[in-house]
Amino acid sequence: MNEDRIQTFTEEIGELKLRGARADRERWLLILGGLGLVAGVGLAIFGGFQASGTTNLGDQVAFLATGTLIGLALVIAGAALFIRYSIARFMRFWLVRLVHEHRSETDRVISALKEIETKLNK
Amino acid sequence: MTNPILELRNIRASYGSIEVLHGVNLSIGRGEVVALLGPNGAGKSTMIKVVSGLLRPTSGQLIVGGRDVTGAAANALARAGLCTIPEGRGIFPNLTVRENLLMATYSGHKLSDIEERTYARFPRLSERRTQLAGTMSGGEQQMLSLARALATNPVILLLDELSMGLAPLIVAELYQQVAAIAAEGVSVLVVEQFARTVLGVADQAVLLAHGKVQVSGKASDIGEDVLAGAYLGS
Ligand SMILES: Nc1ncnc2c1ncn2[C@@H]1O[C@H](COP(=O)(O)OP(=O)(O)OP(=O)(O)O)[C@@H](O)[C@H]1O
Ligand SMILES: [Mg+2]
Repeated sequence: MNEDRIQTFTEEIGELKLRGARADRERWLLILGGLGLVAGVGLAIFGGFQASGTTNLGDQVAFLATGTLIGLALVIAGAALFIRYSIARFMRFWLVRLVHEHRSETDRVISALKEIETKLNK
Repeated sequence: MTNPILELRNIRASYGSIEVLHGVNLSIGRGEVVALLGPNGAGKSTMIKVVSGLLRPTSGQLIVGGRDVTGAAANALARAGLCTIPEGRGIFPNLTVRENLLMATYSGHKLSDIEERTYARFPRLSERRTQLAGTMSGGEQQMLSLARALATNPVILLLDELSMGLAPLIVAELYQQVAAIAAEGVSVLVVEQFARTVLGVADQAVLLAHGKVQVSGKASDIGEDVLAGAYLGS
Protein backbone atom coordinates (compact mmCIF):
# COMPACT_ATOMS: atom_id res chain seq x y z
CA MET A 1 0.00 0.00 0.00
CA ASN A 2 1.33 3.42 -0.85
CA GLU A 3 1.86 6.48 1.31
CA ASP A 4 -0.98 8.28 -0.45
CA ARG A 5 -3.55 5.86 0.87
CA ILE A 6 -2.27 6.29 4.42
CA GLN A 7 -2.25 10.03 3.88
CA THR A 8 -5.88 10.19 2.74
CA PHE A 9 -6.81 7.80 5.53
CA THR A 10 -5.34 9.99 8.26
CA GLU A 11 -6.84 13.06 6.61
CA GLU A 12 -10.30 11.53 6.57
CA ILE A 13 -9.90 10.36 10.14
CA GLY A 14 -8.80 13.87 11.04
CA GLU A 15 -11.96 15.33 9.56
CA LEU A 16 -14.31 12.99 11.41
CA LYS A 17 -16.89 14.72 13.52
CA LEU A 18 -16.94 13.54 17.08
CA ARG A 19 -20.36 14.44 18.24
CA GLY A 20 -21.73 12.46 21.16
CA ALA A 21 -23.59 9.30 20.41
CA ARG A 22 -26.53 10.03 18.15
CA ALA A 23 -28.76 7.57 19.94
CA ASP A 24 -28.50 9.70 23.06
CA ARG A 25 -29.49 12.89 21.30
CA GLU A 26 -32.45 11.15 19.73
CA ARG A 27 -33.66 9.91 23.07
CA TRP A 28 -33.43 13.37 24.58
CA LEU A 29 -35.38 14.93 21.72
CA LEU A 30 -38.05 12.29 22.14
CA ILE A 31 -38.32 13.04 25.86
CA LEU A 32 -38.25 16.78 25.19
CA GLY A 33 -41.12 16.36 22.73
CA GLY A 34 -43.13 14.44 25.29
CA LEU A 35 -42.48 17.04 27.99
CA GLY A 36 -43.40 19.89 25.64
CA LEU A 37 -46.64 18.14 24.80
CA VAL A 38 -47.61 17.70 28.46
CA ALA A 39 -46.53 21.20 29.48
CA GLY A 40 -48.44 22.69 26.55
CA VAL A 41 -51.67 20.94 27.44
CA GLY A 42 -51.26 22.01 31.07
CA LEU A 43 -50.63 25.61 30.10
CA ALA A 44 -53.59 25.69 27.73
CA ILE A 45 -55.98 24.34 30.36
CA PHE A 46 -54.57 26.68 32.98
CA GLY A 47 -55.02 29.67 30.65
CA GLY A 48 -58.57 28.57 29.87
CA PHE A 49 -59.53 28.31 33.56
CA GLN A 50 -57.94 31.63 34.41
CA ALA A 51 -59.74 33.27 31.52
CA SER A 52 -63.14 31.91 32.50
CA GLY A 53 -62.48 32.85 36.14
CA THR A 54 -62.54 36.55 35.38
CA THR A 55 -65.09 38.78 33.67
CA ASN A 56 -62.59 41.45 32.81
CA LEU A 57 -62.17 41.22 29.06
CA GLY A 58 -58.63 42.58 29.16
CA ASP A 59 -57.56 39.93 31.65
CA GLN A 60 -59.26 37.22 29.64
CA VAL A 61 -57.40 38.16 26.49
CA ALA A 62 -54.12 38.29 28.41
CA PHE A 63 -54.68 34.86 29.95
CA LEU A 64 -55.67 33.33 26.65
CA ALA A 65 -52.69 34.88 24.91
CA THR A 66 -50.06 33.80 27.43
CA GLY A 67 -51.66 30.55 28.58
CA THR A 68 -53.68 29.04 25.83
CA LEU A 69 -51.82 30.26 22.77
CA ILE A 70 -48.33 29.51 24.05
CA GLY A 71 -49.69 26.22 25.35
CA LEU A 72 -51.08 25.34 21.93
CA ALA A 73 -47.81 26.23 20.28
CA LEU A 74 -45.96 23.98 22.71
CA VAL A 75 -48.43 21.16 22.07
CA ILE A 76 -47.89 21.36 18.33
CA ALA A 77 -44.10 21.59 18.53
CA GLY A 78 -43.92 18.87 21.18
CA ALA A 79 -46.18 16.55 19.25
CA ALA A 80 -44.15 17.08 16.09
CA LEU A 81 -40.89 16.18 17.86
CA PHE A 82 -42.45 13.24 19.61
CA ILE A 83 -44.01 11.78 16.47
CA ARG A 84 -40.89 12.37 14.39
CA TYR A 85 -38.64 10.46 16.77
CA SER A 86 -41.01 7.69 17.76
CA ILE A 87 -41.71 6.95 14.09
CA ALA A 88 -37.97 6.87 13.41
CA ARG A 89 -37.55 4.39 16.22
CA PHE A 90 -40.36 2.23 15.04
CA MET A 91 -39.23 2.24 11.42
CA ARG A 92 -35.70 1.27 12.38
CA PHE A 93 -36.95 -1.60 14.47
CA TRP A 94 -39.22 -2.69 11.68
CA LEU A 95 -36.44 -2.59 9.10
CA VAL A 96 -34.16 -4.73 11.27
CA ARG A 97 -36.98 -7.20 11.68
CA LEU A 98 -37.61 -7.37 7.95
CA VAL A 99 -33.94 -7.95 7.21
CA HIS A 100 -33.81 -10.63 9.85
CA GLU A 101 -36.87 -12.43 8.57
CA HIS A 102 -35.65 -12.22 5.02
CA ARG A 103 -32.39 -13.86 6.04
CA SER A 104 -33.96 -16.78 7.82
CA GLU A 105 -36.35 -17.19 4.91
CA THR A 106 -33.41 -17.49 2.53
CA ASP A 107 -31.73 -19.98 4.84
CA ARG A 108 -34.85 -22.13 4.80
CA VAL A 109 -35.12 -22.01 1.03
CA ILE A 110 -31.48 -22.91 0.61
CA SER A 111 -31.63 -25.83 3.02
CA ALA A 112 -34.81 -27.07 1.34
CA LEU A 113 -33.07 -26.89 -2.03
CA LYS A 114 -30.12 -28.81 -0.65
CA GLU A 115 -32.38 -31.47 0.73
CA ILE A 116 -34.11 -31.86 -2.62
CA GLU A 117 -30.75 -32.04 -4.31
CA THR A 118 -29.47 -34.83 -2.06
CA LYS A 119 -32.73 -36.72 -2.51
CA LEU A 120 -32.51 -36.43 -6.28
CA ASN A 121 -28.92 -37.60 -6.28
CA LYS A 122 -29.80 -40.79 -4.45
CA MET B 1 9.22 2.56 14.09
CA THR B 2 6.35 4.72 12.90
CA ASN B 3 3.39 5.56 15.09
CA PRO B 4 0.79 2.82 15.52
CA ILE B 5 -2.14 3.09 13.14
CA LEU B 6 -4.54 1.81 15.76
CA GLU B 7 -4.35 2.06 19.51
CA LEU B 8 -6.65 1.25 22.41
CA ARG B 9 -5.83 2.95 25.69
CA ASN B 10 -7.32 1.60 28.86
CA ILE B 11 -10.65 0.81 27.21
CA ARG B 12 -13.58 -0.14 29.38
CA ALA B 13 -16.86 -1.23 27.80
CA SER B 14 -20.11 -2.60 29.08
CA TYR B 15 -23.49 -3.84 27.99
CA GLY B 16 -25.99 -2.09 30.20
CA SER B 17 -24.60 -2.27 33.72
CA ILE B 18 -22.38 -5.28 33.08
CA GLU B 19 -18.81 -4.37 32.34
CA VAL B 20 -17.19 -6.70 29.82
CA LEU B 21 -13.84 -5.02 29.11
CA HIS B 22 -11.94 -3.85 32.17
CA GLY B 23 -9.23 -1.58 30.85
CA VAL B 24 -7.71 -3.04 27.69
CA ASN B 25 -4.62 -1.76 25.89
CA LEU B 26 -3.60 -2.66 22.36
CA SER B 27 -1.48 -1.18 19.62
CA ILE B 28 -1.11 -2.14 15.96
CA GLY B 29 1.51 -0.84 13.56
CA ARG B 30 1.25 -0.48 9.79
CA GLY B 31 1.10 -3.76 7.94
CA GLU B 32 1.14 -5.66 11.18
CA VAL B 33 -1.03 -8.69 11.95
CA VAL B 34 -2.17 -8.89 15.55
CA ALA B 35 -3.92 -12.00 16.80
CA LEU B 36 -6.49 -11.50 19.52
CA LEU B 37 -6.98 -14.80 21.29
CA GLY B 38 -9.06 -15.95 24.18
CA PRO B 39 -11.78 -18.31 25.36
CA ASN B 40 -15.54 -17.89 24.77
CA GLY B 41 -16.95 -14.79 26.40
CA ALA B 42 -13.55 -13.21 26.95
CA GLY B 43 -14.71 -10.03 25.24
CA LYS B 44 -12.99 -10.44 21.87
CA SER B 45 -16.01 -9.55 19.78
CA THR B 46 -16.77 -6.69 22.13
CA MET B 47 -13.30 -5.34 21.45
CA ILE B 48 -13.93 -5.52 17.71
CA LYS B 49 -17.17 -3.62 18.25
CA VAL B 50 -15.33 -0.91 20.16
CA VAL B 51 -12.62 -0.58 17.52
CA SER B 52 -15.12 -0.41 14.67
CA GLY B 53 -17.12 2.27 16.49
CA LEU B 54 -20.23 0.17 17.00
CA LEU B 55 -19.94 0.18 20.77
CA ARG B 56 -18.98 3.30 22.68
CA PRO B 57 -16.49 2.58 25.44
CA THR B 58 -17.46 3.79 28.90
CA SER B 59 -13.94 5.08 29.38
CA GLY B 60 -10.57 4.99 27.66
CA GLN B 61 -9.48 6.14 24.25
CA LEU B 62 -9.63 4.74 20.73
CA ILE B 63 -6.88 6.22 18.61
CA VAL B 64 -6.82 5.76 14.86
CA GLY B 65 -4.16 7.23 12.61
CA GLY B 66 -2.87 9.24 15.56
CA ARG B 67 -6.17 10.87 16.38
CA ASP B 68 -8.49 10.24 19.29
CA VAL B 69 -11.70 9.08 17.62
CA THR B 70 -13.51 7.73 20.66
CA GLY B 71 -17.21 8.09 19.96
CA ALA B 72 -16.89 8.51 16.18
CA ALA B 73 -19.66 6.92 14.14
CA ALA B 74 -18.99 3.43 12.81
CA ASN B 75 -20.04 4.33 9.27
CA ALA B 76 -17.65 7.28 9.15
CA LEU B 77 -14.75 5.14 10.36
CA ALA B 78 -15.65 2.48 7.81
CA ARG B 79 -15.75 5.00 4.99
CA ALA B 80 -12.29 6.24 5.90
CA GLY B 81 -10.88 2.71 5.61
CA LEU B 82 -11.45 0.76 8.79
CA CYS B 83 -13.12 -2.38 7.55
CA THR B 84 -14.79 -5.06 9.65
CA ILE B 85 -15.68 -8.64 8.79
CA PRO B 86 -18.04 -9.58 11.59
CA GLU B 87 -18.49 -12.92 13.26
CA GLY B 88 -20.63 -15.25 11.19
CA ARG B 89 -21.23 -13.98 7.71
CA GLY B 90 -20.30 -10.75 6.09
CA ILE B 91 -22.06 -11.46 2.82
CA PHE B 92 -25.53 -11.38 1.32
CA PRO B 93 -26.50 -15.06 1.01
CA ASN B 94 -29.37 -14.42 -1.36
CA LEU B 95 -27.26 -12.55 -3.90
CA THR B 96 -24.81 -14.07 -6.34
CA VAL B 97 -21.05 -13.71 -5.93
CA ARG B 98 -21.01 -11.01 -8.56
CA GLU B 99 -23.87 -9.10 -6.96
CA ASN B 100 -22.09 -9.29 -3.62
CA LEU B 101 -19.07 -7.67 -5.21
CA LEU B 102 -21.35 -5.09 -6.79
CA MET B 103 -22.39 -4.12 -3.27
CA ALA B 104 -18.81 -3.11 -2.58
CA THR B 105 -18.82 -0.54 -5.38
CA TYR B 106 -20.34 2.01 -3.01
CA SER B 107 -16.75 2.69 -2.00
CA GLY B 108 -16.26 4.27 -5.40
CA HIS B 109 -14.40 1.50 -7.21
CA LYS B 110 -15.53 0.09 -10.53
CA LEU B 111 -17.08 -3.37 -10.54
CA SER B 112 -14.74 -4.56 -13.29
CA ASP B 113 -11.70 -3.55 -11.21
CA ILE B 114 -13.07 -5.21 -8.11
CA GLU B 115 -13.87 -8.38 -10.03
CA GLU B 116 -10.45 -8.49 -11.62
CA ARG B 117 -8.64 -8.13 -8.29
CA THR B 118 -10.95 -10.59 -6.54
CA TYR B 119 -10.64 -13.35 -9.10
CA ALA B 120 -6.88 -12.92 -9.26
CA ARG B 121 -6.71 -13.43 -5.51
CA PHE B 122 -9.42 -16.07 -5.21
CA PRO B 123 -9.61 -18.04 -8.47
CA ARG B 124 -12.22 -20.28 -6.92
CA LEU B 125 -14.70 -17.42 -6.76
CA SER B 126 -14.34 -16.76 -10.44
CA GLU B 127 -15.86 -20.15 -11.28
CA ARG B 128 -18.78 -19.31 -9.05
CA ARG B 129 -19.58 -15.77 -10.02
CA THR B 130 -23.21 -16.49 -10.82
CA GLN B 131 -23.85 -18.82 -7.89
CA LEU B 132 -25.92 -17.68 -4.92
CA ALA B 133 -23.43 -16.82 -2.18
CA GLY B 134 -25.46 -18.65 0.46
CA THR B 135 -25.09 -21.93 -1.41
CA MET B 136 -21.30 -21.88 -1.45
CA SER B 137 -19.16 -23.75 1.05
CA GLY B 138 -18.25 -21.98 4.28
CA GLY B 139 -14.67 -21.39 3.14
CA GLU B 140 -15.78 -19.89 -0.15
CA GLN B 141 -18.20 -17.64 1.71
CA GLN B 142 -15.37 -16.37 3.88
CA MET B 143 -13.24 -15.79 0.77
CA LEU B 144 -16.08 -13.71 -0.59
CA SER B 145 -16.35 -11.64 2.58
CA LEU B 146 -12.59 -11.07 2.49
CA ALA B 147 -12.85 -10.06 -1.16
CA ARG B 148 -15.69 -7.68 -0.40
CA ALA B 149 -13.68 -6.11 2.39
CA LEU B 150 -10.60 -5.72 0.19
CA ALA B 151 -12.64 -4.12 -2.56
CA THR B 152 -13.08 -1.09 -0.33
CA ASN B 153 -9.30 -0.62 -0.17
CA PRO B 154 -9.08 -0.70 3.63
CA VAL B 155 -6.18 0.51 5.73
CA ILE B 156 -7.21 -1.47 8.78
CA LEU B 157 -8.98 -4.81 8.62
CA LEU B 158 -10.79 -6.37 11.58
CA LEU B 159 -11.56 -10.08 11.30
CA ASP B 160 -13.78 -11.83 13.81
CA GLU B 161 -13.43 -15.63 13.84
CA LEU B 162 -12.72 -16.20 10.21
CA SER B 163 -12.31 -19.89 10.93
CA MET B 164 -15.67 -20.56 12.53
CA GLY B 165 -16.91 -23.96 11.45
CA LEU B 166 -14.27 -24.47 8.78
CA ALA B 167 -11.87 -27.32 8.12
CA PRO B 168 -8.25 -26.67 9.22
CA LEU B 169 -6.95 -26.86 5.67
CA ILE B 170 -9.34 -24.15 4.48
CA VAL B 171 -8.47 -22.02 7.50
CA ALA B 172 -4.79 -22.26 6.67
CA GLU B 173 -5.54 -21.20 3.11
CA LEU B 174 -7.57 -18.21 4.30
CA TYR B 175 -4.76 -17.12 6.61
CA GLN B 176 -2.29 -17.29 3.76
CA GLN B 177 -4.47 -14.69 2.09
CA VAL B 178 -4.54 -12.63 5.26
CA ALA B 179 -0.75 -12.70 5.37
CA ALA B 180 -0.63 -11.57 1.74
CA ILE B 181 -3.01 -8.71 2.51
CA ALA B 182 -0.84 -7.58 5.42
CA ALA B 183 2.24 -7.76 3.23
CA GLU B 184 0.63 -5.06 1.08
CA GLY B 185 0.57 -2.76 4.10
CA VAL B 186 -2.89 -3.35 5.54
CA SER B 187 -2.96 -3.64 9.33
CA VAL B 188 -4.98 -6.60 10.49
CA LEU B 189 -6.56 -7.44 13.81
CA VAL B 190 -7.67 -11.09 13.84
CA VAL B 191 -9.87 -12.61 16.48
CA GLU B 192 -9.47 -16.34 16.86
CA GLN B 193 -10.49 -18.80 19.47
CA PHE B 194 -8.12 -21.51 18.29
CA ALA B 195 -4.69 -20.14 18.04
CA ARG B 196 -2.37 -22.39 16.15
CA THR B 197 -3.04 -21.37 12.56
CA VAL B 198 -3.25 -17.67 13.20
CA LEU B 199 -0.06 -17.55 15.26
CA GLY B 200 1.77 -18.70 12.16
CA VAL B 201 0.92 -15.48 10.30
CA ALA B 202 0.65 -13.01 13.20
CA ASP B 203 3.39 -10.63 14.33
CA GLN B 204 1.95 -9.95 17.75
CA ALA B 205 -0.49 -11.87 19.89
CA VAL B 206 -2.73 -10.65 22.65
CA LEU B 207 -4.45 -13.05 24.97
CA LEU B 208 -7.69 -11.82 26.43
CA ALA B 209 -9.57 -13.50 29.28
CA HIS B 210 -12.27 -12.14 31.56
CA GLY B 211 -12.12 -8.79 29.82
CA LYS B 212 -8.44 -8.21 30.55
CA VAL B 213 -5.25 -8.69 28.58
CA GLN B 214 -3.51 -11.61 30.25
CA VAL B 215 -0.50 -11.97 28.00
CA SER B 216 0.76 -9.98 25.06
CA GLY B 217 3.90 -10.17 23.05
CA LYS B 218 5.52 -11.46 19.89
CA ALA B 219 3.40 -14.21 18.36
CA SER B 220 6.40 -16.51 18.17
CA ASP B 221 6.91 -16.20 21.93
CA ILE B 222 3.45 -17.44 22.79
CA GLY B 223 3.76 -21.16 23.32
CA GLU B 224 1.27 -23.91 23.84
CA ASP B 225 1.83 -23.80 27.60
CA VAL B 226 0.82 -20.14 27.84
CA LEU B 227 -2.28 -20.78 25.76
CA ALA B 228 -3.30 -23.86 27.68
CA GLY B 229 -2.90 -21.96 30.93
CA ALA B 230 -5.10 -19.14 29.73
CA TYR B 231 -7.83 -21.33 28.30
CA LEU B 232 -8.01 -23.89 31.03
CA GLY B 233 -6.74 -22.05 34.10
CA SER B 234 -8.76 -19.74 36.33
N1 LIG C 1 -25.27 -7.60 23.09
C1 LIG C 1 -24.91 -8.04 24.31
N2 LIG C 1 -25.65 -7.76 25.41
C2 LIG C 1 -25.27 -8.18 26.64
N3 LIG C 1 -24.18 -8.91 26.88
C3 LIG C 1 -23.39 -9.22 25.83
C4 LIG C 1 -23.72 -8.81 24.49
N4 LIG C 1 -22.77 -9.28 23.66
C5 LIG C 1 -21.90 -9.95 24.44
N5 LIG C 1 -22.26 -9.92 25.74
C6 LIG C 1 -21.53 -10.53 26.86
O1 LIG C 1 -20.23 -9.97 26.92
C7 LIG C 1 -19.26 -10.97 27.21
C8 LIG C 1 -18.19 -10.95 26.14
O2 LIG C 1 -18.78 -11.30 24.90
P1 LIG C 1 -17.99 -11.34 23.53
O3 LIG C 1 -18.97 -11.58 22.45
O4 LIG C 1 -17.14 -10.13 23.42
O5 LIG C 1 -17.07 -12.62 23.74
P2 LIG C 1 -16.09 -13.32 22.73
O6 LIG C 1 -14.73 -13.26 23.35
O7 LIG C 1 -16.24 -12.74 21.36
O8 LIG C 1 -16.59 -14.82 22.75
P3 LIG C 1 -16.73 -15.88 21.54
O9 LIG C 1 -15.43 -16.54 21.43
O10 LIG C 1 -17.78 -16.83 22.06
O11 LIG C 1 -17.17 -15.16 20.32
C9 LIG C 1 -20.03 -12.28 27.32
O12 LIG C 1 -20.19 -12.58 28.67
C10 LIG C 1 -21.34 -12.02 26.65
O13 LIG C 1 -22.37 -12.73 27.27
MG1 LIG D 1 -16.95 -13.45 19.52
